[in-house]
Amino acid sequence: MNLLLVLALGGLMHAARSFQDAGSIAGTTLAFGFVLLVAFFAGGLSAGVRLPKITGYMIAGIVVGPAVIGLLTPEMVRDLELVDGVAIAMIALTAGNELDLKAFRPLMRSIYWITLLAVVGTAVLLGITVLAMKGILPFMQDIPLLPAAAVALVLGVVMAAQSPAVVVALRDEMEADGPMSRTVLGVVVIADLVVILLFAATSSIAKSMIGTPGEFSDTIGLLAWELLGSLTSGVLVGAILALYLRFVGRSGAALFVVTACFVIAEVGSRLHFDPLLVALAAGMLIRNLTRRGDLLHQEIESASLPVYVVFFASAGAHIDLSVLMSAGIPALIIVIARAAGLIYGARWGARAAGAPTEVRRFAGLGLLPQAGLALALSSIFAKAFPGIGDAARSLMLGVVAINQIFTPAVFQWALRRSGEAGRRAQAETAAAPAESGGLPSPSA
Amino acid sequence: MHAQGPEVVIRIILALVGLLALAYLGGHPWVRQAERRLRIAQLVTAGFPFVALGLVLALPSVGILTDEVLRELSPLLTFGLGWIGFSAGFRLDVRELDHLPKGSARAVGFATALPFAFVVTTAALLLLLASDGSRPSLANPALLRDALVLGTAGAMSAQEAARLLGDAARQQRNLLRLEELAGMIGLAFIAAYFRPQGDAVGWRLPGTAWIFLTVGLGCVLGMLSYAVLQRAKSPAESILLLLGTVAFGAGFGSSLFLAPMVVCFVAGVLVSNIPGDHRQRLRDALSRLERPIYLLFLVIVGAIWEFDDWRGWVLLPCFVGARLLGKWLAETLVRRTTAIDLGEAHWTVRRAPIGQLSIAIVVSAHLLYPTGNLPILETAVLAGAILTEVLAQIIARIGPKPAPESLALGVDP
Repeated sequence: MNLLLVLALGGLMHAARSFQDAGSIAGTTLAFGFVLLVAFFAGGLSAGVRLPKITGYMIAGIVVGPAVIGLLTPEMVRDLELVDGVAIAMIALTAGNELDLKAFRPLMRSIYWITLLAVVGTAVLLGITVLAMKGILPFMQDIPLLPAAAVALVLGVVMAAQSPAVVVALRDEMEADGPMSRTVLGVVVIADLVVILLFAATSSIAKSMIGTPGEFSDTIGLLAWELLGSLTSGVLVGAILALYLRFVGRSGAALFVVTACFVIAEVGSRLHFDPLLVALAAGMLIRNLTRRGDLLHQEIESASLPVYVVFFASAGAHIDLSVLMSAGIPALIIVIARAAGLIYGARWGARAAGAPTEVRRFAGLGLLPQAGLALALSSIFAKAFPGIGDAARSLMLGVVAINQIFTPAVFQWALRRSGEAGRRAQAETAAAPAESGGLPSPSA
Repeated sequence: MHAQGPEVVIRIILALVGLLALAYLGGHPWVRQAERRLRIAQLVTAGFPFVALGLVLALPSVGILTDEVLRELSPLLTFGLGWIGFSAGFRLDVRELDHLPKGSARAVGFATALPFAFVVTTAALLLLLASDGSRPSLANPALLRDALVLGTAGAMSAQEAARLLGDAARQQRNLLRLEELAGMIGLAFIAAYFRPQGDAVGWRLPGTAWIFLTVGLGCVLGMLSYAVLQRAKSPAESILLLLGTVAFGAGFGSSLFLAPMVVCFVAGVLVSNIPGDHRQRLRDALSRLERPIYLLFLVIVGAIWEFDDWRGWVLLPCFVGARLLGKWLAETLVRRTTAIDLGEAHWTVRRAPIGQLSIAIVVSAHLLYPTGNLPILETAVLAGAILTEVLAQIIARIGPKPAPESLALGVDP
């Protein structure tokens, strides 16, 4: 039935597209509805073959997007980016709201070591890999060795980035909880900060070495503005959300959360804030300094499904298969090197921290998914290094595309094998009778 | 502050705080309780502050809802229109119409046709006088179209008016739903017979064919909606599928330069009248999202409202006057020619308020025909809605009070 509905929707979309090159307003609304429905049913088909739903959403995006059958035009895909900003903010708000510092305290040692060895270590490993491939990467061939090493390190940092979005979405979809998934969540959130900082530092050095204009102090100033400004505005947004949840409660809260995420995404980008950091700080504030964390979680949960579906389908529609073909072999080598770095780095980090066995065995697999941050940094790289940026960006897009398509299934497998899938539902079921048992009866 | 000055941040924070305050006021249980107790329509208490917010945020001196941001948000307008149409269609349960008293069709005919005729005549004459002189003729299709749009918007009365009535509220609500149906038919005809021209428009068909296409598309989308909504396993999935269905329907209708409201209205009627347990799930999802989506829609309507065009303010009293004259005449004829119990309330309480569907009709027409006099009509209808609501409230308080058990109305049965 899911397949029939997908086909019926595809036929109707084709009919609508035959009328005209849909104007922007109608086209965006049409594309939003179409993507939402088709991706939802594709997610159902994907779950039917034991793959993550988000893989289904992304594959639906790839198939209906400009790269394959073209039911979505590039303009429609671009217009759907409006949802991307809201989704990223919402995902970061969820991630921040799940970072209960008390609960995470026992995991901090593991998070620290895994971040150091897996994330930073993989960035260095990828830098070395890119440098080793200098001969087969046309954009690197004319650069002398030392500057090439600096550029390779920047590329390594970008390609080491992970995806809190996929981790949060898969944890929710699998209703997973436990030390492994919590450690992965903590690492991917902190790794986002680390990657942004490393990118700023390494790109400044690389720019000065290959003679691209740009003052080091400017870069530091921008970075300080982005980090401190994002965190400060995150605290402000968190306070406003907490006030709403405190005084208004559930009434319209889902709408208010979505609106706040929209403001974070739109205003944040206008002010050079990182929406991810803003929302993360807001979520952490609500979880750790107020008693409204659970309420926020429920409100996000009820409003997030449509946003996630469109976000992941739109991510699929953005994948340019021609880039994947052209950057094929080097991209594949980097994907393998990245996977090895993250898996072994996480294993060694977990061992150094004395983490439980499931963290040692499976945490590295949770670090493999990649999406938004790597794409954003690759765009910044392309602008910052005009001579080589576009060609290097194609390589980075190829790596992200491969990781986007395949790694959610790997993390899903890890959640199942570690026994953490479904644990949240079990905990809620166990808690429900206990809670009801603890309440006084109405007659009492 | 690199890209924007600090004043932008201050404005944004103020806007956020304003939105918080409005949301607080709109959502607080005390405020909603007071709304019910005072029998004040949602349109005034919760709705118009959001229109005002949109207006303020779009002012060049405030500069938050800039043209660029509005362009990004404009799909919400199409979606909002589809949503309003779908909700109105879903409320039209044809089984309830069997219980309407004899003469209801005649009553609805009078109540819609007379104000329509008066408003169209008045608006056509005024628009002719206010035209820029390029084509000053009553045969000008754009002028006729705009007059018809205003007439259609003026033909209906607000569903919220039923709150102000006593025991007659339920029967009145059903009659008002039939008025909505008449409004939808009017809009469908305008969109079918006044087609936009240009290279971007494909499929050259006669107007009647577009009517069939509108109804056919609505039916196809209705059946698809039914099949899609059957797949929902949780409230979150119901909401997702409902959002997707309405967006797809509204986008499809807009792509064909049809009124998205009408297409979604037909789909809503079909879904509502197919028996099954999907109706309750759908009703829950609609009631959960209706208010937020409508309020967001009003923010955008406020932002695109060209309130500084004086012609709209000149048109306002003529529109309201012609409409009230038509409604009064209809009321008189209904009393004389039918046996329908109209209750004790003054006729203005029942007939005067202009509802969200009328606002949506002019906004829908504005989207279909971006050039012309549509912004003037928006001023007349938006300001007219406030004016008639205030008038009805005053008269309701002066006149006899409805029975106490009907005071908590507001949620559709």
